[in-house]
Amino acid sequence: MKTNNKIIISWIPKVLVLAVALFLINTQLYQSQIIDTLEVGFVFSLLAMGIFISFRILDIPDLSVDGTFALGASVSALLTYNGHPVLAIFASILSGAIAGGVTGVLITKFKVQPILGGIITMTALLSINLLILGAPSRSLWKNSTIFTLLENVFKDYTDIILSGAVMLAVFLIMFWFLKTQIGMSLRATGDNEFMVRASSINSDTMKIVGFMIANALVSFAGAMNAQISKTGDTNSGTGMLVVGLASIIIGEIFFSRHTIFSGLAAAVFGAISYRFILAFAMSLGIDTKYTKLLSAVIVVIAIALPIVKKSISGFLKRIKERGE
Amino acid sequence: MLKIEHASVVFNAKTVNEKIALKDFSCEIADGDFITVIGSNGAGKSTLMNAISGSLMLNEGKILLDGKDITRFKEHKRARFIGRLFQDPLKGTAPNMTIEENLGLAYSRGKKRTLNIGISKRDIELFREKLNALGLGLEDRMKTPVGLLSGGQRQALTLLMATIVTPKLLLLDEHTAALDPVTAKKVMEITDEIVKKDKITTLMITHNIEGALKYGNKTIVLSQGQLLMDIKGEERKSMTVEGLMKLYSKNALDSLSDKMVF
Repeated sequence: MKTNNKIIISWIPKVLVLAVALFLINTQLYQSQIIDTLEVGFVFSLLAMGIFISFRILDIPDLSVDGTFALGASVSALLTYNGHPVLAIFASILSGAIAGGVTGVLITKFKVQPILGGIITMTALLSINLLILGAPSRSLWKNSTIFTLLENVFKDYTDIILSGAVMLAVFLIMFWFLKTQIGMSLRATGDNEFMVRASSINSDTMKIVGFMIANALVSFAGAMNAQISKTGDTNSGTGMLVVGLASIIIGEIFFSRHTIFSGLAAAVFGAISYRFILAFAMSLGIDTKYTKLLSAVIVVIAIALPIVKKSISGFLKRIKERGE
Repeated sequence: MLKIEHASVVFNAKTVNEKIALKDFSCEIADGDFITVIGSNGAGKSTLMNAISGSLMLNEGKILLDGKDITRFKEHKRARFIGRLFQDPLKGTAPNMTIEENLGLAYSRGKKRTLNIGISKRDIELFREKLNALGLGLEDRMKTPVGLLSGGQRQALTLLMATIVTPKLLLLDEHTAALDPVTAKKVMEITDEIVKKDKITTLMITHNIEGALKYGNKTIVLSQGQLLMDIKGEERKSMTVEGLMKLYSKNALDSLSDKMVF
């Protein structure tokens, strides 16, 4: 009973926040804005799920994400420009997986420090993305995308239906995958590498597989984002790791990260919430230039909060003891 | 059968800090042997275990398991037929995964991991049965993350994980040393029971000389990376702790230097 009460009490502020958020969404944003925000939120939940794999499951912050998001955008834009929008998506996923594999091999086989490994791949991708796209950015206004292809079927709601369906499909596939033998080995690798090797699992291979999946998802997000916004931009990846982290952290306010389902749900919910926070900020007239600053601040607050809380409670305790 | 031939391990070779951890070490372990390993700190006990399990590569020599040369096999490859327990109870389990998931991972040891669902209904029944045999009440907590268990419970679970697929060789590196005396005794009893029931070839490091003589069928004493004594049969049966200590100080290569330095 006591734990039940505790859970209920801990949910009160969360429910209040949700209620206020829903009220604001209803009153402050136009319907078209809400739909646009949801679409982008669905696309960015792919990014958040990818970062969930590297940051939460493997427990390694993978900086190649900034490069692979733009890689997905570049590959997708190039092929869409040349009239292959569906192929573009699959090619982006594949190229993201390859880039992730490179980071994985650098970290495991060549013993490059994890953060440096990601930075190396990201830096290399800055040039590679420019080579692929042939220009810093490319507009796709005149080209057909996966969204325009389905316009006859779903009419005005094509974007939201398609992006929502993709998000749901990826969510279910990831949920299933993490319950398989390979998925379980992957989770254990981030949890206790020592035990994994003692259980006859090659932890290096698992890490490489993890990075490939993570970056495939991130690249997928970049590819979808390029087609939905009708521009491929080689600079679109800047700061994506922190954006993804901020999303996951926001989501974890509402979903614990201790089960696979709620961990993935946190990534999706957080990515969508993050987009709504940005939409509000913009509707209040805040310059979009500051969005990355906002995500950086969110991440710092989330990481620092438990430590600040602890030191404050320790401080209060000491004052109390002194008073007695 | 495990055969170690002229094994040598040298740390920091060709520097002033050079340390010979294992020096031309040879020994044979027959199937079904339960061997206890004793020796002072730095005698090479853990080095021997790490060399057998593959977390450390030999500088010289060979390791043969059932006639197969595994000297160059990597750790995870050897883990297909070698089960391992460490002194630190946190090392053997994944804390954020549940008891059944940990067992599920261990149960697929040696097989190819596929995209099949990790734990089937049939597996869960088997796990429940095995956990029940431990007598720690873990069978009712199969969905609990392992991180919430006590050290003793985690070590017992690790033992179950290491033996759920019967290994060709079980390595125990002071696996009860970090537990309180009562729990240590319980875990040691479970160990003895499982090893006897499945007739697992076992190598156990211990600092408890009484335990070293009580469990198993053979005791080896290491000193300065070499095999100092090999006690078995009748001699072992009549051996006492004092007797062993006396024998040790008579034979020990390092007793003099140890006393002079420390």
